[in-house]
Amino acid sequence: MTMRRSSALAAALGLPLLLAACGTGGSGAQSSTEELPAGQKVEGEITFWHAYSEGGPEVTTLEEEVIPAFEKAHPGTEVKPVTVQYDQLHQKLVTAAAGESLPDVVRSDIIWVPELADLGVLVPLDQAMPDFEKLAEQTYDGPLATNKWQDSYYGLPLTTNTKVMLYNEQALDEAGVGVPETFDDLRASAPKVAETGNYLLAEADAAGWQVLPYIWSNGGDITDEDITTSDGYLNGPKSVEAVELLVDLYEQQALPKLILGGGGGTNTFEGLANGMYATIVDGPWAFPIIEGQFKDFEMKTAPMPHGDGESTSVVGGENLVITQASENKQLAAEFTRYMLSEEAQLAMAEAGQISVLESLSDKMVEIEPSYEEYMNQLQTARPRPPTPAWTKIDEIIRKQVQLAVRGDMTAQEAMDEAVAQIDPLLERG
Amino acid sequence: MAATATTTGPASPEVAAPAPAPRDSRKRRRESLTAYVFLLPGFALFCLIVAYPLARSFQISLYDWAVVPTQASRFIGLENYARGLADEQFWLSMANAGVYLLVTVPGQLVIGLALAVLLDAKMPARGLFRVLFYVPVITSWVVVALVFKYLFNTDAGVVNWLLVDVLHVADANIAWLQSRWPGLMAVSILGVWKGVGWAMVIFLAALTGVRDDLKEAAALDGAGAWDRFVHVSLPAIRKTLLFVTVLLVIGGFNVFISVLLMTGGGPAGSTEVPLTYMYRQAFDFLDFGYAAALSFLLAIVIMLVSYSQFRLFGGDEKEVD
Repeated sequence: MTMRRSSALAAALGLPLLLAACGTGGSGAQSSTEELPAGQKVEGEITFWHAYSEGGPEVTTLEEEVIPAFEKAHPGTEVKPVTVQYDQLHQKLVTAAAGESLPDVVRSDIIWVPELADLGVLVPLDQAMPDFEKLAEQTYDGPLATNKWQDSYYGLPLTTNTKVMLYNEQALDEAGVGVPETFDDLRASAPKVAETGNYLLAEADAAGWQVLPYIWSNGGDITDEDITTSDGYLNGPKSVEAVELLVDLYEQQALPKLILGGGGGTNTFEGLANGMYATIVDGPWAFPIIEGQFKDFEMKTAPMPHGDGESTSVVGGENLVITQASENKQLAAEFTRYMLSEEAQLAMAEAGQISVLESLSDKMVEIEPSYEEYMNQLQTARPRPPTPAWTKIDEIIRKQVQLAVRGDMTAQEAMDEAVAQIDPLLERG
Repeated sequence: MAATATTTGPASPEVAAPAPAPRDSRKRRRESLTAYVFLLPGFALFCLIVAYPLARSFQISLYDWAVVPTQASRFIGLENYARGLADEQFWLSMANAGVYLLVTVPGQLVIGLALAVLLDAKMPARGLFRVLFYVPVITSWVVVALVFKYLFNTDAGVVNWLLVDVLHVADANIAWLQSRWPGLMAVSILGVWKGVGWAMVIFLAALTGVRDDLKEAAALDGAGAWDRFVHVSLPAIRKTLLFVTVLLVIGGFNVFISVLLMTGGGPAGSTEVPLTYMYRQAFDFLDFGYAAALSFLLAIVIMLVSYSQFRLFGGDEKEVD
């Protein structure tokens, strides 16, 4: 009986295994590239995944202004927008890639493009769109570069941003300190602000997005130029010193436990508005959200504080990519062109998204005075290393910085350990 | 119906007349065929949702798996398993699951049993209480995990408010979700609160089945309420105890949503449990092969633990009945 049962089980298990094995031969990446010239007659519908925030006016502008305008200009077309929370978009894209159910167009965080391109699910736009160069020329070089993986461009920049220091003047005044411009200012102000019961500076996490500006602004770096090794860069003296700044501020109770992540602390916007956090470092989307929630609070901006280097923040932003899975790539390409038009870029700029078009750079400050600081900071801001291994590297940086901040190891030990984990990934990448 | 009786006779071919024999066996074949047809939907379902995914993920665990079907995966044999065995973070996540088990299994057993005994007795509104204690079981994990995240918030949470401002047991706010032991404790408290109703219902059903005459006999012999519980009820529901324990242990190893939403496995991975770690490998790092291998390592551990539970506590089933 047991014999028979086990052989039946083996058959039941073995058959699908064989079937599954047949399916894994792999047909290789699709290399056929459909031509997507401009001005074609387009019809039908496409799906567009994005993570525009629902908290501010972004989603309403997209759905009630931008997309209807496109559909009006191209009768017989329909663009179906799907709002995905930013935190879930990466996972959703990966799952959809595995299940071959990606939408036609995605507004992807700039850091995911190399990874998605490496998976072979994106259309190389520089090969598919004859007018790619014309479109690309209008945009800033930095954001455009984030679309490049190996020898092709897999997307077009849609919006760009960076982080600057946002501060609560009252909280700084209360402690009798000025706006910190340098790391030395931060160290000097830390005990004074801590005495008032507030924190000098809050960071909501310890990943690359948070930590890299400190490293760069101290003259440190993450990897060499070709992104082949982090040894001597991430664990170099300047980078380690920057991490030590965060460790010291944490020990002086000038940086809240929020940096350990996991949730549990007062979030940065709320803390800044009520004075609990005197400063935070964040992007332009903070303005509509804080204006909406904390009407009495007047937020001020300053450049990212710096150490031995120049004040350097991190480039964020989103690119538009077209997937290989799209069955209506012509319409997808046309929609991408429209999203890069001055009309659409201006509309989204009103909603809090800085345009990537050089021709609109003067208009940005007119639309929103608070953009000025960001436009200045963008001049020196740097992108995170474009490598498909970035999500993994990001997690390693987060963990090692948290270990250093908690005092489990010194900043030097933590960064040495990070390098030991990151370099094998770069070799493979 | 009478015909079925003859089919069980082993000697029927010799005794029976030549004519009915083939009809009989044809009938038997038809009957067993009918049985198989009835089994088919269940078996097909089993293959579809259990056997196939199981075999498929075992296959994935042997590859450096490419997520996208159009890319080729590389066969690497048991490399993923070797990597898992040497992965300190994975074993830390197993240890964290162990801590979770140590708190939640006894917690749910004891509280669940106590509630079951209380609500087994005749008392007013016991139906209402049974429902109330069961409500957490049927609420969404996501919702209650988010609620607990607010309760255990460092600066504005109710728990810290109670401990610091009301009871004065702590001097400063505890960073519940931003450190390892408090984080695991918060997650475990949620686990007990959410699971206790389930244990209670199972125990309640078992207690209802304990024969009243046994309890009465014990009472006549002068046994008090406690003695009747320990010497009559408890031995009678022994199998249920084992059943509940085994399922709670398996469930404890599979703790996921609460950790993912409350601590995210942080800080620095210190509250990671096996499922969150696996999830991260698969969906953040796209390392599906490694995640699949870890899931089999976890399955082996769970099987060993469950087996030893049966061996240790389930040995002499026949004595109790």
